[in-house]
Amino acid sequence: MEQSGTSALLQGVVQDLASGVAAALRGGGPAVFPGGVPPEEPPDGILIAAVRVLGADLLLPHVLLHTPPAEREVTLLRRAVDAFTPAADAAPTVRWSHWGMSRGLHTAGVRYGPAGGGPGAEPDAGWLDETSWQALTHRLAVLAALAVPGEDCALARGAQRRVVDVSRGFVRAVRRRDWRQAAGAGRWLAVLDGVPETLGLGSGLDFVELMGGTDPVVDLQVRAARLIRAGVPV
Amino acid sequence: MTGPRLLHTVGVRAIEWLWAHRDGFRLETDVDPEVGFLERFKPIGELAQVCKVLFREGVAGSQQSRLARQLLDHVWRETLDGGLMLVRGQRTEPFSPVPFEVYLPFRELGYSQPGIERAATLNHRLLSCAAFETTATRRLGMSAFQRRFGLTPRPPEAESYARTWLARTPEPWTVEGHTAYDITHAVFHLTDWGEHPDRLPADAAAYLETWLPVWIDDWTDLRRWDLLGELLVVDACLPRPTLDEQAWQAFAAAQQPDGAMPAVREMPTGDPDEVFDIVYHPTLVAAFASTLATSRSLSDLAAAS
Repeated sequence: MEQSGTSALLQGVVQDLASGVAAALRGGGPAVFPGGVPPEEPPDGILIAAVRVLGADLLLPHVLLHTPPAEREVTLLRRAVDAFTPAADAAPTVRWSHWGMSRGLHTAGVRYGPAGGGPGAEPDAGWLDETSWQALTHRLAVLAALAVPGEDCALARGAQRRVVDVSRGFVRAVRRRDWRQAAGAGRWLAVLDGVPETLGLGSGLDFVELMGGTDPVVDLQVRAARLIRAGVPV
Repeated sequence: MTGPRLLHTVGVRAIEWLWAHRDGFRLETDVDPEVGFLERFKPIGELAQVCKVLFREGVAGSQQSRLARQLLDHVWRETLDGGLMLVRGQRTEPFSPVPFEVYLPFRELGYSQPGIERAATLNHRLLSCAAFETTATRRLGMSAFQRRFGLTPRPPEAESYARTWLARTPEPWTVEGHTAYDITHAVFHLTDWGEHPDRLPADAAAYLETWLPVWIDDWTDLRRWDLLGELLVVDACLPRPTLDEQAWQAFAAAQQPDGAMPAVREMPTGDPDEVFDIVYHPTLVAAFASTLATSRSLSDLAAAS
């Protein structure tokens, strides 16, 4: 019971954070608890874990809208990076999302990483060319926080090489009513070149929002994709 | 890419089942007028069409070809009474295109019933025929049938095609079961049931090459074998067929030991006639997909050697 209670609490905090980021993407302002600290701030451990789940997207409004991040957002992200260092044998998505958080700190001007020089070496990206289009889309959707304009890492380059496969994965996710995966894949497609015209990505994102937009994580991804498609300056 | 042996075996077993259950191709002469005498002609026309594909592609073994020919002779002689039942159907519903459409593949295979041909020629002259209200894909099929018979299609096929779902290459995530059948049938009519893959317009071929893998993946997982079989036919009509191994493995595994292919999920049970009516179509589709895919697979092997 305690485990499921903690899990539900964590999911709730992730949703709160995602709502904050989505609101900030709409109108600027701080991403973390934009309406002020809630009456009952979550326990510190849960909050840091939730930041780890949301990943680099905690700073997304500042990446896309070029506003300076709040001190608290940077601190939270930095603490999450330190608290959840991936094991050597961690899954590629775990390693890449962690790398993305370090990268986010670096982009925000925080001297972070080995000797303060950057986010460190990129994780292995060989799987990007080897995995099926279905599994590829699933993994990339989990890593949607790295889908930002101008990102030049092995993950983004690998996604670009398989833009048609990611487009197929978007269709598959929509058809299966997996709105989080669809929104994550849609955000990747917003940063990739060569998306098939027939996909109808703009309407597809609208449909994902219509059907799944009550989930703040979906809302966040769709809003990010729209901003990117609208050509936010890099 | 699936090897020719698996592709071929699905079709061999399908034809064996159809031969063993040939009495399922039956008419109901005392049918309720509300249902219509022509209702039971459709399976016979589909059988003739698929057998035509089988003879044309030349990849069937001697046993499979012999069974297919015996099946056709059986339904023509016994079920259609040498074509007289088609004439009867035409007289029951003089302006229906169904008797003509059932007849055409028989005619192309050497059978003859002049009464149907006279009716088809007369009907084709009628404004009523061109004004017949139906779906765009069905209209494309009617135009294609007219051309195959030697008539000038009304309206022209290009005009009919332009109104289909496929011609407009819509958002691929909106495809549902009925839309998918519209797509498969548009491809059947455009290519004359796989005889002329080059007649598929380039934009439609590119569209299908991009999105067909998603639909095949989806309907494989949903175990909708009838639709999956038709999508596998479409794949075999593309410039570069994938002959998707996972889908073909699943399709072959769904086929029953006696060759029947369930329409959806598992094989139904119950009254033999009712079971026939449910599974004859996916079994015919299995023979169709198997023949075309085997042919393409062997062509690829020949090209590679």
